[in-house]
Amino acid sequence: MKIPRFSRKTLCIPYGVFLLFFVIIPMLFILFYAFTDKQMHFSFSNFVQFFSDPTKFSTIIYSLVIALVTTVVTLLIAYPVAYILARSKLKKKFVILMLFVLPMWINFVLRINALRELFNLISQAKPLEGLANANYFKTVFGMVYDFLPFMILPLYTTMLKIDNSLYEASADLGANGFTTFTRVTLPLSMPGIMSGVTMVFLPSMTNYVVSDMLGNAKVTIIGKFIYEYFGTNWHMGSMIALVLLIVVFLSTWLTGGFKGDETVRGTNL
Amino acid sequence: MKSRRIFSVLLASALLVPVLASLSGCGGEKVTVLKVYNWEEYIDEGGEGSYLYDLALEEETPEDEIVAPRIVEDFEAWYAETYGEKVKVEYSTFGTNEDMYNELKLGNEYDLLCPSDYMIMKLAAEGYLTKYDESFFDPEIETNYYVRNVSPFIAEKFASNAGLELYPDASGEPILWKDYAAGYMWGTTGFVYNPSAEVSSEAGEAVPLRDLLEEQGWQTFVDPRVKGKITAKDNVRDTYFAAIGVTFEQELLALDPAADGYIEALTAYFNATDEETIARVEPTLMDIKENIYSFETDTGKADMVSEKIWLNYAWSGDAVYALDEAEAGEIDEETGEIVEGSQLFLDFFVPKAGTNLWFDGWVMMNCVEERGTKKAAQAFVNYMSMPESAMRNSYYIGYTSVIAGENAEMLDYVDWLYGEEEENEEDFYDLSYFFPASEDGSPVGIYADEEQRTCRQLFAQYPTEEIISRCAVMNYYREDASDRINELWSRVKSEKLNWWAFVVICLVVVAIALFVIFVKFGNKIDFFHRKPKKGYHKIES
Repeated sequence: MKIPRFSRKTLCIPYGVFLLFFVIIPMLFILFYAFTDKQMHFSFSNFVQFFSDPTKFSTIIYSLVIALVTTVVTLLIAYPVAYILARSKLKKKFVILMLFVLPMWINFVLRINALRELFNLISQAKPLEGLANANYFKTVFGMVYDFLPFMILPLYTTMLKIDNSLYEASADLGANGFTTFTRVTLPLSMPGIMSGVTMVFLPSMTNYVVSDMLGNAKVTIIGKFIYEYFGTNWHMGSMIALVLLIVVFLSTWLTGGFKGDETVRGTNL
Repeated sequence: MKSRRIFSVLLASALLVPVLASLSGCGGEKVTVLKVYNWEEYIDEGGEGSYLYDLALEEETPEDEIVAPRIVEDFEAWYAETYGEKVKVEYSTFGTNEDMYNELKLGNEYDLLCPSDYMIMKLAAEGYLTKYDESFFDPEIETNYYVRNVSPFIAEKFASNAGLELYPDASGEPILWKDYAAGYMWGTTGFVYNPSAEVSSEAGEAVPLRDLLEEQGWQTFVDPRVKGKITAKDNVRDTYFAAIGVTFEQELLALDPAADGYIEALTAYFNATDEETIARVEPTLMDIKENIYSFETDTGKADMVSEKIWLNYAWSGDAVYALDEAEAGEIDEETGEIVEGSQLFLDFFVPKAGTNLWFDGWVMMNCVEERGTKKAAQAFVNYMSMPESAMRNSYYIGYTSVIAGENAEMLDYVDWLYGEEEENEEDFYDLSYFFPASEDGSPVGIYADEEQRTCRQLFAQYPTEEIISRCAVMNYYREDASDRINELWSRVKSEKLNWWAFVVICLVVVAIALFVIFVKFGNKIDFFHRKPKKGYHKIES
């Protein structure tokens, strides 16, 4: 019996079909709906309305700020962890890494729900009562909790690849710990930072499950807006989605997400 | 090549299996597939906690011998027995009226839907629905359980279009609600509250929540004394309705319920969507947002039970569910008794100025004609309208069925749930408006204790006639009104940015952009190039 052989082209077909039906065609639909009115006539009215209406614009800015804070906090927590893990001689560091990655195996809605209950429990204590209404804090907390592994993993893999001889060379040339960090570790881990930042920043702009469950639905980010508009007015919803897509595209381009030579991107997930 | 052929044969047969299955279905015994699209958790699902199960428990049947099937399965069996034909129910669920509407707009077809009042009008006006057969409303036919058992109150509301606006159909005739819809559940909206919570009055005295609600009515939503202890619904329809109640409470109270056109005036107030009304309601909505603990769709019940909040604006059926849940408490596994102190007794309150009266009803989509499922669809509605089915559904989900029973069978059920043994004259709860009149003309009702009559499950499920007479049904918003309301809602939900916050944020964004550009292109711009220190020089690559 002869084993059937597939050429590279044939092997691409399943993914190509998937790409066409679930990425390209939906995008065209968004584009179509964004630039039509309710009578399905071509129109710029959604576009004009979006930029003349302060609520939508301020919500985008607001989501950007929430995403930014989330990213910075995540980075501040993840960087030392990744650094220590990558540089340590621990035999069981696999276990520690696992502890950080393990939550990813559980559905995040469940985890966020559990976090909500935990906050409820904590806010029953008198001195922490204010926590019940600290909607922004809880939202950012939930996002950080949710996205931390996405930051740690790329950082860890990049740092693992830094050759130890570079550190030795740096020491030989008389650099102290701080200089070594700023001149060797930081520049070389930059691809990991960029990868982590994209993976945290972009989803945290739209992850409205967190803001609904932990922010008591009083924190509104742009993802929720898109969802609500799709309940009633698909055209406006599509326009918001399109603007968001452009923001995402710009930030990915700026952080170098489209460069092909960075092997770190996606190596770990 | 042989293997590939085997593979394709396998593939082809895999594709054929469903086709063959359906063919054999047609060839032998015809199976009608009935597609039902209903709210989540809105029908008896059988098993533990269902009516049949608890009834069997009460008769001391051993637990492992109890059979409590899903009501849909029972319908299939009943249909086969009654009509000698097989029917298979494909049951699916939706979360909100708008979600359901989107599904239909995408071209999905179902035989039976269960939307709410305003959505039924919208669907009918847009031509999605088909009318019930005239024979469906003939009480002489034995199997017409719906028309024979439906409450006269509901039948009257449906016949009078319940204050809903009339829209012309394709032929220009006004759309009458009763032609298209058969009722399923109904109820009001109001506040679930924790009677043990207290606020203080201006004089510093303790005021129980009940008194606060009586005194403030809708204004409770914006009362600073309950700040962070009250919730609103996370959808524009219900919260806008409530905000109208808050804004126009004095005007609503000034209306005379005895006067002609009272209901129309009330309905007009609660359904106003003109610019002026929106301008007045918007600040109220902002105040509500400021004062509430959260916008929620289903977390309110749990938050009430855990006593994190005191007040939850809720649909009456959800209220009953919350009341039951809180009352159940924790069961000690060893003794099988309720742990002391784990029970919580919540109450229900309806504002005096009037509230929302809503109905969820079965409607048939146009596809029933060509799919040949109209008979099965109408039979499904009829089966759900048997008093026993109504009891099962109502018991399972906590909502109130539109069914009263030909001989007021539902009254016995209500009595079994909430009634008291002694028949004290003053404990009589008059439900004459809902149930068919008794033969001797005496009022119909049950004997229940004061709590049940004024604020507990009985009151939530079957409000007094006085409350019902002060209720308005929601109309659907026309296109431009719908846009205005959505824009209002997005203004309420989004954050207002102060100008300085705006400036700071813009600066931050610009700084980040500059930083990224610096990192990305810095080495290409001469300005950023650092000169090597003295004695060093760059290696040109």
